[in-house]
Amino acid sequence: MNVPLSHVLAVAAALFVIGGVCAVARRSIIMILVGVEFMLTAACLAFVGAALAWGNLDGQAAVIIVMGAAAAEAALGLALLVHGRRGGGTANADDYNRLAG
Amino acid sequence: MGELLAIMLFFPLAGAGFQAVWGERIGRRASGLAAAGAIAGSLAAAVAAIWQLGVTPHQISYGSWFAFDGLNVAFSLLYDRVAGLMTTTVTFVALLIHLYSTLYMREDKSFARYFCYLNLFVFFMLVIALADDLIFLFMGWEGVGFCSFALIGFWHGELKNVDAGRKAFLMTRVGDLGYVAALALVVAAFGHASISDLTGRVGSLPTGMATAIDFLFLFAAFGKSAQLPLSSWLPDAMAGPTPVSALIHAATMVTAGVYLLVRLEPLLAIAPDVGATASLIGAATALYGAACALGQRDVKRILAYSTISQVGYMFVAAGCGDVAGAMFHLQAHAFFKSLLFMVAGVMIQAFHEEHDMFRMGQRLRRGLPGLFILFLCGAAALAGLPLTSGYFSKGRTLADALAHPGSPFLLAFVLAAIAAFLTALYVFRMLFVAFFSTPADPAPLVADVALKKMERPLWPLALLALIFGFYNTPEFFGLRPWLDAYLAGTVIPNPPEVEHAERFVGVLDAFMALGGLWLAWIFYKPARRPTAAAAGIFTAGLGLDALYRRALAVPYFRMAAFLWRGVDEHVLNGAAMATASGVLGLSDTLRRVGSGRASASLLTLLAAAAVLLTWLAVSFT
Amino acid sequence: MTALGLLFYLLSAVALLAAVLAASRRNPIHAVCCAMVVFLAVAGLFVVLGAPLPGVLEVVVYAGAIMVLFLFIIMLLDLKAEAGTVPMARFLVPGVFAAATLAALFALIGTDPSGRMPLPMALATPAAVGQMLFDNYWMAVEAVSILLFAALAAVLLLGRTPPANANKGSAA
Repeated sequence: MNVPLSHVLAVAAALFVIGGVCAVARRSIIMILVGVEFMLTAACLAFVGAALAWGNLDGQAAVIIVMGAAAAEAALGLALLVHGRRGGGTANADDYNRLAG
Repeated sequence: MGELLAIMLFFPLAGAGFQAVWGERIGRRASGLAAAGAIAGSLAAAVAAIWQLGVTPHQISYGSWFAFDGLNVAFSLLYDRVAGLMTTTVTFVALLIHLYSTLYMREDKSFARYFCYLNLFVFFMLVIALADDLIFLFMGWEGVGFCSFALIGFWHGELKNVDAGRKAFLMTRVGDLGYVAALALVVAAFGHASISDLTGRVGSLPTGMATAIDFLFLFAAFGKSAQLPLSSWLPDAMAGPTPVSALIHAATMVTAGVYLLVRLEPLLAIAPDVGATASLIGAATALYGAACALGQRDVKRILAYSTISQVGYMFVAAGCGDVAGAMFHLQAHAFFKSLLFMVAGVMIQAFHEEHDMFRMGQRLRRGLPGLFILFLCGAAALAGLPLTSGYFSKGRTLADALAHPGSPFLLAFVLAAIAAFLTALYVFRMLFVAFFSTPADPAPLVADVALKKMERPLWPLALLALIFGFYNTPEFFGLRPWLDAYLAGTVIPNPPEVEHAERFVGVLDAFMALGGLWLAWIFYKPARRPTAAAAGIFTAGLGLDALYRRALAVPYFRMAAFLWRGVDEHVLNGAAMATASGVLGLSDTLRRVGSGRASASLLTLLAAAAVLLTWLAVSFT
Repeated sequence: MTALGLLFYLLSAVALLAAVLAASRRNPIHAVCCAMVVFLAVAGLFVVLGAPLPGVLEVVVYAGAIMVLFLFIIMLLDLKAEAGTVPMARFLVPGVFAAATLAALFALIGTDPSGRMPLPMALATPAAVGQMLFDNYWMAVEAVSILLFAALAAVLLLGRTPPANANKGSAA
């Protein structure tokens, strides 16, 4: 196909940035986690594109690893959210500020 | 000779040390006797030393004190006839005062401290009397200043006593600046500071340098001897025990200034301006002291101003270059003034610590007749009634001033003569009011057997006050002047004009004394029931003290307060605190950045990533 | 333009659009649904780029497990949300940084000349991927499995209902 690697990387970059904005600008913990997932997916995309460009399967192996880590992290994040919500907490990241100086 | 002088110096010093360590333990009587015994030993050594003394002076050195850069300071003594007279006078009067003190301080708890300082004072005074090296002399000079401070403020429970001691110390310290400056000039000019060597090489000194050195030594002498302008410490120094006033402020320390000038007389001789200044200021002080004494009610303050006045006479003689005359009046004054002070001490204790003489009266004369006789002897000598010691010694100083050429000396003579009249006036005022009057508000008389005992050491002084004058009568009397003859080899003899003047002065002085007695009788005779005038400017010493307080003390306190509050607290402390609070505020602002909110951290992460990547992009393209 | 290339660009557009939509929804259910679309599109991209195994795993793990878990949690916690979009002002500052990042990344991507070569046509069979994975990266695989195990243990601990004892209250 006629798609240069730079285009793939550009798409991945755009997806990464959108995920970054979503993680930073949103207050809800769910949305922050969604943003983080976007960013990880963008990285996976870049890996796959590079694997195809260099004819190397290492990139796809990296994708597998990243997905495993992402799954663990999402599960933990949601468990923390549930734990925090118990006993009258909120889902707003700004309210968890007891570590403020 | 060296051993005798060493014994003379050792006894009081050892006595002081003994009192400091064991004084409290051995009890009051033993302590007093030990102190008096130390002085008695010193007196014996002084008499033995002067017995062996010929015309040639002895120079003894006990070893080097310190040396650097070519300057060699040693514990050296110059024992000539002047020093011999001074040491015997000092130890004799000190012994009598010690014996008197054992009775006077009979109820005081800190007797060991008292006798320790008193012995130490005698030691330092003997150092001044004997020292050859000017720096060694300065040690004695400062030592008497310290002991004076310690003894004036002896009853340090009351703050005003300590203030009086501090004032005395600080004022004499101001004079000591002159001493140190003169010392520096002497060392610069001669390479050392030895009196005997100095007086030998005086000729090599240019007049301007000699005048400067002499003026500075004169200033130091003014401070120590409580002359104008540094006189206002002496009246306040009466806050100390009366024997202290008798020893320090009548007989010994205040004469140290005169003694210094006497020892340095060859140096004064080549700077005639200094002599004129000394005589003029001495005479002015004599007048000032006599005038202020007329306005006092406190017996001790009258005697204090009287001391200021009489030491002025000694300066008149020293300024004219008459060493024998100055020493003559110094000795006579030591005898009759210490007598008067000790009598005043008995008067005060007789009326249970009452100082106001307008509350005493003829009950005192009836109750303590011996005391009255003693006072009469001292008063006659002080006033200069004919044929008393004061008559001859004061006459000698007046004759010196009259005979010396130059208008400052004539002015000095006039002032001193007026002062002589006022002296007789205030002395007999004191006599009549304290011993003859019937006061409207009498103080209670105490019957204490110790009071009669305290009179006993004073009889020798009363005798000397009356007859000591015959030791050095003027020529026209026909008797041999012993003192002049004794000092003939040591000092420059008096020019013959002085003897001519003495006839005139003798008559004048007799008139002054009798005139003062007559005027005092008119004003203060018992029939008139004299009452004290209201306290005026003479009581306050013509406002000298107030002037110093306003001009020097108050601005100094203000500046100190400014430096304390303004500079130290506000500026320095404030700067430190402001730095601290500034840092605190800064860290506070920074703290708020770390708000604990996750979104802030995330934003920071994104920003950092943006910055990093931008930098990477810029550096790679 | 080959068909695969066209498909690539189409799927990229869908992914990016859905991502933007997901980022701007207030209702979390809507956002998660948009995210699912993103992941499905990316799975398609993986397949187009010759990586069917990652593509399938993307669908199964990401869209199928993780996003569904998100939905479960949203419904479990009953997270309410206002309707409509998030106000624009909230995106301003992050948007500036994001734009800078994007520009930098584009610049960096542009500097590499080898990126201009068109990608070859290839397909990696899952067997080959699996073989390579366990030949060269078995350590990483084991590490990830331990990581997952740790996450499992932590989630179990965190998810425990607190005992009736009043001392152990959960912090907000």
